[in-house]
Amino acid sequence: MENGWIWLWFVLALGGLLALRLWARLRPLARWRRWRALRERALFEDALKHLLTCEHSSRDATVESLAGSLGLSQKRLPRLIARMEAAGLLRSHGAALHLSSEGKQWALRVVRAHRLWERYLADEAGLPIGELHHAAERAEHRLTPEELDALDAHLGHPLRDPHGDPIPTAAGAVAPLEALPLTDWPLDQPAQIVHVEDEPEVIFKEIVAERLHPGMSVRILERMPEYLTIYDGQAEHRLTPVVAANIHVAKAPEGPSQPEERIRLADLADGEEAEVVALDPDCRGFSRRRLLDLGLTPGARVRVELSPAFGEPRAIRVRGTLIALRREQAVHVCVRSGSRSGGKTQKPGVSRQ
Amino acid sequence: MSDRVQTLTPQDVLARADELQRQLGGRFRDKIVESLYHEAEHIARRAVHHRTDRHWDLDQRIDRLVTSPIFGMPLMLLVLAAIFWVTIAGANYPSELLATGLFWFEARAVELFNAWGVPWWVTGFLWHGVYRSLAWVFSVMLPPMAIFFPLFTILEDLGYLPRVAFNLDWLFQKSGAHGKQALTMAMGFGCNAAGVIATRTIDSPRERLIAILTNNFVPCNGRFPTLIMLATIFVAAAFPPAFASLAAAGAVVAVVLLGVLFTLLVSWGLSRTILKGEASAFTLELPPYRRPSVMRILYTSLIDRTLFVLWRAIIVAAPAGAVIWILANISVGGTSLAQHTADLLNPQGVAIGLDGVILLAFVIAIPANEIVVPTILMMYLGTGMMIELEGFEQLRALLVDQHGWTLLTAVNLMLFSLLHNPCGTTIWTIWKETRSRKWTLVGALMPLGIGFLVTFLTATAVHAIGWI
Amino acid sequence: MKRVQPAMSACETCPAHTRLAQMGIDLAKYDRVVALAGNPNTGKSTVFNALTGLKQHTGNWPGKTVTRAEGGFEWGGIRYKLVDLPGTYSLLSASQDEEIARNFLLFGQPDCTIVVVDATALERNLNLVLQVLEITDKAVVCVNLMDEARRKGLEVDVRSLSRDLGVPAVPTVARTGEGLGDLIRALADVIEGEVRTSPRRPPPPPEVRHAVEELLHLANGLAPSLPNARWVAYRLLEGDHRVRQALLSGELAQLVDAQAAPSRRASRKIALEGAQ
Repeated sequence: MENGWIWLWFVLALGGLLALRLWARLRPLARWRRWRALRERALFEDALKHLLTCEHSSRDATVESLAGSLGLSQKRLPRLIARMEAAGLLRSHGAALHLSSEGKQWALRVVRAHRLWERYLADEAGLPIGELHHAAERAEHRLTPEELDALDAHLGHPLRDPHGDPIPTAAGAVAPLEALPLTDWPLDQPAQIVHVEDEPEVIFKEIVAERLHPGMSVRILERMPEYLTIYDGQAEHRLTPVVAANIHVAKAPEGPSQPEERIRLADLADGEEAEVVALDPDCRGFSRRRLLDLGLTPGARVRVELSPAFGEPRAIRVRGTLIALRREQAVHVCVRSGSRSGGKTQKPGVSRQ
Repeated sequence: MSDRVQTLTPQDVLARADELQRQLGGRFRDKIVESLYHEAEHIARRAVHHRTDRHWDLDQRIDRLVTSPIFGMPLMLLVLAAIFWVTIAGANYPSELLATGLFWFEARAVELFNAWGVPWWVTGFLWHGVYRSLAWVFSVMLPPMAIFFPLFTILEDLGYLPRVAFNLDWLFQKSGAHGKQALTMAMGFGCNAAGVIATRTIDSPRERLIAILTNNFVPCNGRFPTLIMLATIFVAAAFPPAFASLAAAGAVVAVVLLGVLFTLLVSWGLSRTILKGEASAFTLELPPYRRPSVMRILYTSLIDRTLFVLWRAIIVAAPAGAVIWILANISVGGTSLAQHTADLLNPQGVAIGLDGVILLAFVIAIPANEIVVPTILMMYLGTGMMIELEGFEQLRALLVDQHGWTLLTAVNLMLFSLLHNPCGTTIWTIWKETRSRKWTLVGALMPLGIGFLVTFLTATAVHAIGWI
Repeated sequence: MKRVQPAMSACETCPAHTRLAQMGIDLAKYDRVVALAGNPNTGKSTVFNALTGLKQHTGNWPGKTVTRAEGGFEWGGIRYKLVDLPGTYSLLSASQDEEIARNFLLFGQPDCTIVVVDATALERNLNLVLQVLEITDKAVVCVNLMDEARRKGLEVDVRSLSRDLGVPAVPTVARTGEGLGDLIRALADVIEGEVRTSPRRPPPPPEVRHAVEELLHLANGLAPSLPNARWVAYRLLEGDHRVRQALLSGELAQLVDAQAAPSRRASRKIALEGAQ
């Protein structure tokens, strides 16, 4: 029995030591403080964003609307407002709340963080457009101004986020969007989607389901009172006016972004040869850089050599090497079809007209 | 002019760079790469001359065959099966020989120690504890590894692995994963920790994480001996001798395919729940076939892989053997400590078609999966009577007759050794690669959970049908 | 996984290069640092193993070298440390392996860089060579897999390649050791300044020339005599995070100072030898 007690003490002492070590390593107190600071910042920033949105739609933000947007109780909200007022971020005029110029700057910075992060997720991480918003809602509160600037430069100072919303510059300037809702666009005129509204979510989901996104070239084929038929060069989409009103279009730029004239690498038959004309402008970020690095630059000769059991991916011979590409990548490569005659002795990819 | 430049700060330069970058409108990269390739074309055209018309002839023909829509997949399975068959058929005899020799030596050594009057616990500890476990590791693991690894290395050096990835990519794409995951899995056959490190070639963090978390579903070479041994003892025994090794190879292939299936399922599940997202850019180079060099294959497979694994097994197995011997020979209330622990785990073990000893062996084998079977054997031998094991027949007798193993035990043990927590090294590697406690924990516990679930289901199903 | 083991083999086992002493991972003392860059699947690891006597794992599939491996060899009384970088198609994509390679070339300041290229796919490989030559002018091109090229009926004119690139190009078959002696000799010549390199740096494309030139001027103002200022300008125009950081922290300016060091080291060595 005595032995048992010794063992018990031993185990307890060991456990205590372990707990102490863990405490020192994990620093729960510091973590908790950091977490609280972050939560407070998120609360501030969400409030500022709400005020900015109201300002843009020329509504007055009120305590009630703020409470609804933040999901905060009526008890905690006045405290938050008081703190923000003390920090010089907002002013209250009666029931209405207004952003101060400092508050507005901060709000624009949050919007910038949100939209840059969305751009980053879409270009570099390949996240689908439907999931960008939620991911960015979390990240926008964490990014420091330095990180934001680096991200901005890395992405090549994008002007618009994946939904087509303008990204404010570091100085807070916002480029206005010149576009018409799809419902107001003339029939049969080539147009480019420049913006899709991501709220309300139900309608946005429908847009996502139709795989419509900014950068696409479309044409309205017919306009009926209850629906609108558009053609994107590959498929037709039938949209209700409510959905179409949330899609904004502008005049399509000339040339390369007209999809219907172009054959894609993915359209080539097995064994077919072609010459690369351009990479689709939709292909951005990492995916574009990788295709370029592999030598899929304008003028390069490509040949489809292998396709396995499932028909995908296919192996493409480019510049003397065999590269497997999935269909998603291959559709981004615009090619000019046709095998060359008498080009057998030449290395594929060397020729340039 | 130069004065003005001198007073510039880095911030000014950056600001100007940003402005210029904005003016260029994002197509700077395209222009630069185009001009580089343009230049490369010129230089290459001047430097390279073609003497003949025919190039890539043989390579292309082989490629057509191994990636063919009809023959590609069956060929892959055939190659896999052939490798396991050669391994199992070839390792059988040397394993028996080694076991006989090593245990004969043990018996003589014990006799000698007894004759010298060495205390029983020294003899027991040294020979029945440490030596016996090492002998088991050697005889069960060395021959299969010495055959399997060179064969696998040949495939690797030939350039067949990228073709496998190419054939399977569609499945990975549908699972929301990266095609190179097939390559990291192939590395996992060698060692899961190496497989986890190899995921660095996957650029998308999401897909890389999926590859890391699922790498454990390919049995590493620490687990192959377990699979091969079980297949040999149990599966092969159920067939006529002519087909025995073929059946055993088939069983191992089935386990490997099951691992691939779980990899795909779990990848699919992950990319629809906690790691949401679409498959990212995928490019994979299919290099030309190269003739493997014999010396390098022998070196890589024997020194780099076989000896490495064996050494790891030995440095873990020797102390583990010692610990087990102590546990088995210190009695509290008439039963040994080992038996106490095993009894504690027994209900859980039985529920999943195994027993407490096997579960305890998996706990002890966390540092290195190689010692699962040796541990089981030592526990059985240590707690039961000491018998000489001179080959697979006696081994079978020990497991079946004395400890009530059935085909279900064998199958579930194979399943569980495929689906359980990664070994300590792999867990450590996951932590080093992800730097995240959360993902390390997921990587360690998710396979274990799946393993419990699957074996529980098979055991329940078998019991329900009333087979056993 | 890379399991690097020191090799026991001395020089007797490698008749192709009689004066080469493989040092394995014994890197206690070395005089020169050499980086090994190249596309995946060009036999880079084979070259590394042949030179150092290490048995780094090789395999015919892309991306098996994912970390940096180091080894050493001695030749002509000088100890070289060889750093095997991950195989990459380019130094521009900013994926993890490319960043490792790029950062070592830029900030690791190797005395020379060997770029291993596949003789059967020269065009694709030269893309990387040209990028490396933008960063450093001390480079040797190792035209590997010459045997495969011959088998495929390709004739590679290495002299034309050297002339066009402005750095030595050496034909090799690393598997058999063919040409490795010449490679080391060329390497030593470049490092010791026996061979003056004038790397081919194609002018920036016309659409971006004004921007590159303006930035080049500014960058020169911050870090005068930076040998790869144009490359830095390229990177800044692409918003490269690491290079921006290096510019802000003054790390780039320090590189210039460090680049003067090798010559100092060489002169000290000469002084020591003279004293003996």
